[in-house]
Amino acid sequence: MKDRRGRRPDLSLLDPGRGDPAYWERLRAAVLSAVAFELAARRERPRLSVAGILSGWSKKLIPAALAASVAALATWSQGRGGGEAVPPPPPLALEEVLGPGAEGELSWAAQGAAANAVAFMSFVESEGR
Amino acid sequence: MKNRTDAELVELAMLGDRDAFGELVRRYQGAAYAVARGVTGHHEDAEDAVQDAFATALRRLEECRDPKKFAGWLLAIARNTARNVVRRESLRVAEPVPQDVRSSLPGPDAEAELAELRRDLEAALAELPAMQREIVLLYDLEGWKHDEIAERLGVPSGTVRSHLHFARKALRERLSKWQGRETQARDRNDAE
Repeated sequence: MKDRRGRRPDLSLLDPGRGDPAYWERLRAAVLSAVAFELAARRERPRLSVAGILSGWSKKLIPAALAASVAALATWSQGRGGGEAVPPPPPLALEEVLGPGAEGELSWAAQGAAANAVAFMSFVESEGR
Repeated sequence: MKNRTDAELVELAMLGDRDAFGELVRRYQGAAYAVARGVTGHHEDAEDAVQDAFATALRRLEECRDPKKFAGWLLAIARNTARNVVRRESLRVAEPVPQDVRSSLPGPDAEAELAELRRDLEAALAELPAMQREIVLLYDLEGWKHDEIAERLGVPSGTVRSHLHFARKALRERLSKWQGRETQARDRNDAE
């Protein structure tokens, strides 16, 4: 177990590439095969960056926003230029909004019977009696 | 890729460059094997450890804070992985790299003698302290220089020389019965 100088133990016996020159290339291929998925994932990873995501969104959002804008513009210009303008609906009376049963309170309110909260409570109590 | 530095290869490998990572494997698989072999004492286990170590290194490549020191970082992973392989030896499932036909067909006498020599060598290595074993394998098996070992293992160069000296002395004493016979056995095996 000595080299030419008689001092170095020869450990080449432990080298799997000794007598098998293709050994290390096969091991390298085995390693690369084992990590193929990770390498592929890393190649994909830059596309998942913030810039990448925004870029991906913009591809869908910009055409959609553009289409919506065109549609809105067309509708608006149609309403302006063509035919008569649609008159706004008449304003609803407060009674109509609140529905039946509110007439009493509303008549009180309309009469201006309560100048403050105390007067209002007195009015409600007298109505209840 | 061969002209690129380790740091450049690491940066490319982070982006999934197969050739870059393949070059890192080519450069350091022997050293990783030497370290793993020193820990496990067995070829198959060392081989598994090397494969696992490179897979782990790629997964954690961002943790390699100084890509210039990739080699030392990888060897630390290989060392830890080899220890884990030893622990789970009985559950080993990875396929060993098939041996070349040529290496599996020596003559029966020479093969038996080489097998015995290999066992004695492994036993002698197993008796060395872990650091001595790793250093002697990196130096005598992988061919690394003192300074390379020192830098990559993070120990002073003088310590490397000292470990190497004592490791060789221990190996020579343990394998003294093979002096002279070893060369004959190898020559016969190579001839066959």
